[in-house]
Amino acid sequence: MPARPDRHSRMIGWLKVLLPLAALTLLATLFLFSDRIDPSDAIPYAKVDVEDLAKDPRMSAPDYAGTTADGAGITLSAQSLRDGADGAGTSAEAISALIETPDGQRIDISAALANVDPSGKELRLDGGVSLATQAGYQLQTEAITADLEQTNLASTAPVTVTAPMGDIRADSFSLTQDPLNKGAYLLVFNGGVRLLYQPGGQSPSP
Amino acid sequence: QEAKIAFGGLAQDTSLPVEVQADSLSVNNADGTAIFAGNVLVGQGEMKLSAASVKVEYATDGKAIARLHASGGVTIANLADAAEAQEAVYTIDSGTIVLTGDVLLTQGPSALSGQKLTINLKDGTGVMEGRVSTVFVPGGN
Repeated sequence: MPARPDRHSRMIGWLKVLLPLAALTLLATLFLFSDRIDPSDAIPYAKVDVEDLAKDPRMSAPDYAGTTADGAGITLSAQSLRDGADGAGTSAEAISALIETPDGQRIDISAALANVDPSGKELRLDGGVSLATQAGYQLQTEAITADLEQTNLASTAPVTVTAPMGDIRADSFSLTQDPLNKGAYLLVFNGGVRLLYQPGGQSPSP
Repeated sequence: QEAKIAFGGLAQDTSLPVEVQADSLSVNNADGTAIFAGNVLVGQGEMKLSAASVKVEYATDGKAIARLHASGGVTIANLADAAEAQEAVYTIDSGTIVLTGDVLLTQGPSALSGQKLTINLKDGTGVMEGRVSTVFVPGGN
């Protein structure tokens, strides 16, 4: 062994030991902190019942746009559309429809179920239908039939309405073109119409 | 000439809810006018107004009803008094009813007829104008 080795080579000697040790500890912690990868939930499966889908073919999120003879634009969109068996007409779920009349009025309709008859001329909405017109009328009824040829909506069940002037209740309502002047549309309530109006504007408790 | 009469003997509270019943209601979507037709019955507290058709006229904001324009033979009843006319305009906020067209007002046994009757519901008074003629039963009411 040469005389006492000088300070420099002693330091190198220590480093030759310490540095590999530090490298080893670093390498060890690498696997300690890495996140656990659970191979079992690698691919999230779709929860849709495949047989049901295959059994009756359906279209999802269809929409239909058309204009009626008197120039009102109708756009319909639904969550899913199913072609009825043996010509029972197509049926659809979660419908929302928008009617824009030529005089600029907008009528928004939403319903739970809809059924277009095979001739494609009449649309029946039921399962709870709500309509909102621009004049501030909100109508709730059980079922309505809508004519796709010319604008003619008619409800086949009692209807309750929250209108700007108060609450209205009637046995049925129909929305048709005003025979007098072509552009305007008439919302007609029939049968036991009852309006409750609170002067001063705050809506009376029903 | 004019005759001043007390109508209904009690001031009608015009802030009571107004209830309108009819056979049909048609709303014109464009300008929002609403017409009740088919034995229309308008009720507010004690006062009942029945007519063949009632047209609703809105205030400017479109929310409140300014006037009810009843036509086609109107009868108004308020406790013991009743008034008949061809047309009537009821301004809800100011509580005045203006009946026009051969008006007949009956108060108990006595009757009063004329061309125009203005009833102020707030203080329960009425003013009959135009060819007023009356039938008094002395000591009757």
